[in-house]
Amino acid sequence: MSTVAAAAPAPLAVSPWQRLLGVYVRWSSRNPWLATVLPFVPVIVAWAAIAKSGLFPPVFFPGPVEVIQKFGTLMANGILPAYLEDSVVRLAAGTAVGMALGIPLGLLVGMSDRAHRMLWPVLLFFQAIGDIAWLPILLIWFGFGLTTMIFVIVYTVLFPVVLNTVLGVRSVPIELHRAAFSLGASKARIVWEVVLPGALPNIMTGLRNGLGFGWRALIAAEIIVGTSGIGFLMFDARRAGSVVEILLGMIVLGVLWYVVDSWVLAPIERATGERWGLVTRKD
Amino acid sequence: MIRRARLTAAAAFVLPLLALLAIWEAVVRAFDVSPRVFPSLEPVLEAGAAAIADGSLIRHIAASLGRIALGTAVGIALAVPLGVAMGTNRAVSAFFTPLLRFFSVLAGIAWIPIATLWFGYGFGAITFVIFNAVFFVVAYNTLLGVTGIAMPLRHAAASLGASRWQLLTEVLLPGALPNIVTGIRTGLGFAWRGLIAAEMIATNVGLGYMLFVARDFYRTEVIVLGMIVIGVLWLLIDRLLLAPLERATIERWGMVRAA
Repeated sequence: MSTVAAAAPAPLAVSPWQRLLGVYVRWSSRNPWLATVLPFVPVIVAWAAIAKSGLFPPVFFPGPVEVIQKFGTLMANGILPAYLEDSVVRLAAGTAVGMALGIPLGLLVGMSDRAHRMLWPVLLFFQAIGDIAWLPILLIWFGFGLTTMIFVIVYTVLFPVVLNTVLGVRSVPIELHRAAFSLGASKARIVWEVVLPGALPNIMTGLRNGLGFGWRALIAAEIIVGTSGIGFLMFDARRAGSVVEILLGMIVLGVLWYVVDSWVLAPIERATGERWGLVTRKD
Repeated sequence: MIRRARLTAAAAFVLPLLALLAIWEAVVRAFDVSPRVFPSLEPVLEAGAAAIADGSLIRHIAASLGRIALGTAVGIALAVPLGVAMGTNRAVSAFFTPLLRFFSVLAGIAWIPIATLWFGYGFGAITFVIFNAVFFVVAYNTLLGVTGIAMPLRHAAASLGASRWQLLTEVLLPGALPNIVTGIRTGLGFAWRGLIAAEMIATNVGLGYMLFVARDFYRTEVIVLGMIVIGVLWLLIDRLLLAPLERATIERWGMVRAA
C-alpha cells in the first residue's frame, strides 16, 4: 500500500494566487450582495485616478467626487427626484397599458389558428418597425408631450409581450387542454387555469425584454421630446456641456435598472419558470 | 416540391400584409384623412420612387447599414474573446459579472448624450453607440455562456489531454455559442434602435435623419416610407441573418431550451 501511495503524483501545486481566487469564489457565493458591490470599487478608484491624472480635460472627464457632489445638489434642490419620478411613472403607465393590451392579444393569436395566420406577419412587421421610428409621426399627431412618450412605451412593451405570450400559449401541450376539457372545464376555465399559467413564464420573459427595450425608448423619447425626465436631464446637460450631469444620469439609470432587473424581474421570471415551467417542459 | 412549399409559406406571410395595405388605403379614403396626419398609399409610393430616383434613399440606407455593420463587427470581435477570457476562471467571472451586467443594462441609447459630446455629432458618436450596445450585451452573454459550461466537461477534455487551444475551440466556444448568438441578437436589437435614435439627434444622413427631417416639413409620406423601410430592413436582418444563426447553433450544439 505504501508503495502505491509513494508512486502517486504529488498533489497539484496550488499557488497563492489560485488560493486567493478560491477564497473569492467561496466568499462571493456566501455574500452575494457585497460581491455585487465590490467589483465597482476598483472601477471607481481607476476612474478617479484617470480623472485626477489630467489625461483628459476635466470638463470632458470629471471624477467621481464631482458626480457625487452633483448628486447631492440635484437631490437637495429636488430636480433629480422629480425627474426620476416622471420617468418611472411614464414607464410604469406605459408598461401597464402594454401588458393589458398585450396579454389578451397574445392569448387570442396563440389560441386561434385563424387569428395567428392573419395577425402573426403583421405583428412581426410592426415589431420590426421599432418604437423609436414612430417618434416623428407621433410628434406630428400628439405634439411634444406625455401622450407621445406613453405611446412609444406602450408600443415597445406590447410586442415582446404579445410575441412571447403566443410562444407560451403554443408551448402548452394539447393533452393538457384535452384533459381539462374532458374533465368538464369550460373554455374560460381552460384559459384561466391551463393556458395562462402555462404561458406565464414566457409572458414574464416578454415583460422583461419589453421593459429592457421600453426604458431605452423612454430615454430616446425624453431626449427628443425633451420636457422632463432623466433622458431630458442628460441631454439638457449635453447642450450645456456639463459632463458631470450626463454621467450622473447614466449612473442613476444604470443603478436603477440593475436593481429592477436583477432583484425584481429576474427573480419573478425564475420563480414562474420554476413554478409553472415544468408543465411545458414535460415532453 | 420544396420550392412550392416555400412559395406557399411566403404567400401566407405576405397576404396579411397586403390586406393591411388595403385597409390602410380604405380607411384613409373613407375618413378623408388629411395628408398632414397620415398619407394614403399613393404618395408614399411616389415618395419612394422619387427617393430611389435621386439616390437619397440608397444613400440613407447605406449610411445606416454601414454604421451598424462596423459597430457590430468591432463589438463582437472584442466582446467574444473578452467574455471567454473572463469566463474561464470562476473567481474572475464572479468578479466581472456584476460589472458587465451593469454596463449591459445601460448599453445603447443612454450613451447618446456623452457619445455626442466626446465624438461630436456624426459618424463617430453613432458608431460608438452601436458598438457599445453590441459589445456589453455580447460580452455579458459570452461570460454567462462560458460560466454555464459544466465543470466536468472541461475536466474531461483536460484529462483526455486537450491543449488549452483545443479546450477553447472544442469546449468553451461551442458551449458558449448559443449564449453568444442570443447576445448578438439582443445587442443588435438595442443597436438598431440606438442607431435610429442617434441618427435623429446627431447626423445629417441615415434613415433616422430622413424621418426626422421629414417631420419638420410635415411630410408624412416620407415618414411612413422611412418606417416601412426600417421595418423591412430589420425583418430581413432578423429573419435572414439572426434567426437562422440562432436556430443553427441551438440545433447543432443540442442546447435544449423552453419552446
